[in-house]
Amino acid sequence: MVLDYRKLVTTISTEKREILSKKLVDLILTSKNDDRMPNQLANAMLYHWQHDALKSESGIAVLLEAVLLLEPEKTFNALEELQMTDIARQVKEAIEG
Amino acid sequence: MVKFGIEFVPREPYWKIVYYAIQAEKGGFSNLWITDHFNNRNVYVTLTAAAIYTNKITFGPGVTNPYLVNPVFTAQAIATLNELAPGRVVLGIGAGDKTTLESVGVEMAKPLTAIQEAIDIFRRIVGGESVVYNGEVFKIAGASFLFKPRGRIPVYVGAQGPKMLELAGKIGDGVLINACHPKDVEYAVNCVKEGVRQAGKKLYEVDVAAYTSFSVHEDLKKATKAAVPVVSFIVAGSPSVLLERHGIDFKKAEEIREALKANDWGKAFGAVTSEMIEAFSICGTPEMCIERIALLLKSGISQFVVGSPIGSNVREAIDLVSEKIVPHFQV
Repeated sequence: MVLDYRKLVTTISTEKREILSKKLVDLILTSKNDDRMPNQLANAMLYHWQHDALKSESGIAVLLEAVLLLEPEKTFNALEELQMTDIARQVKEAIEG
Repeated sequence: MVKFGIEFVPREPYWKIVYYAIQAEKGGFSNLWITDHFNNRNVYVTLTAAAIYTNKITFGPGVTNPYLVNPVFTAQAIATLNELAPGRVVLGIGAGDKTTLESVGVEMAKPLTAIQEAIDIFRRIVGGESVVYNGEVFKIAGASFLFKPRGRIPVYVGAQGPKMLELAGKIGDGVLINACHPKDVEYAVNCVKEGVRQAGKKLYEVDVAAYTSFSVHEDLKKATKAAVPVVSFIVAGSPSVLLERHGIDFKKAEEIREALKANDWGKAFGAVTSEMIEAFSICGTPEMCIERIALLLKSGISQFVVGSPIGSNVREAIDLVSEKIVPHFQV
């Protein structure tokens, strides 16, 4: 199953987007699995950051897609910590396929 | 008003460095320096990516050397970058690290002459000249660009020893002083002043930067833990005169040197003392760092460069510098 990250993000409340965006960025920047980062996603992340759009719907969609490649387990934990259990479940189901 | 610069080592992939570069630009840093070592990712590729995603920060290699990279190639790379980001590019050049050069079979011959000649060649070719050069280190039969370079590009000289510092003051548009302690920076600035005097310039015409090993965190222990590995390498590479100036035990320095050679990180890092951290880094809470930077400013520096490791979490550390330290010096 292919996950529509953009559609998924629309289900996240706007007030939680900023904190989620920061958490995802931290997971990406501190990840040791750099080699798993596709360059299109890296460039999309930089583009959104340059334009202050990492907490926008498209920005969070890019971050989610990247972080799930780099740190899937840590992402599920982070989503649960932020009480985004439903998002965590959908992501897990999609990835486990 | 002092400018803030930041240094990154492209051991990290380009997208992490560029993320931090964008963050630094947003946070009020004016200069971005990327180190140039053959065993890391390429400096010019990294700078190109940074140029694309930033709009106003000034940037350049910090520093390249004329032994591994011929000044004609350096001129080509810098002039091309200056087309991508006109007016934002500078060249940082120094003699390089002897151990690194030896590891690839390159001798660091006549460093003062090499730097002087390399800068001369760089300026002439970037200035649009066809260069014929018969120097002691470099010989060029005839080299010119098949494109028109855009404008003058400032040259910063990376320096540590008294003669190189003097030369930097004499011929550089800027100087990158590799030091953290007020005693070392004051000594270095005096050497730069001598070069500036010889050239008939004024000190304010030269951007004098303290290129520091820096680590900030709200928790002093975390800041210190991040600084220790970098300090261990600085101690191992420091000449005895520098160790003596800071009262550092030669035996302890040798112990660190040996442990690093043997890749015994635990032993090397464990031998780093608080005196070493004090001498070779600016490390602590934002308030402690402000105090140390203020002391360096009294020596006459015009740029403060936040260098590796920056902090245990680089993103958080950049925010701390931007939010708590930079504003303190902009009042």
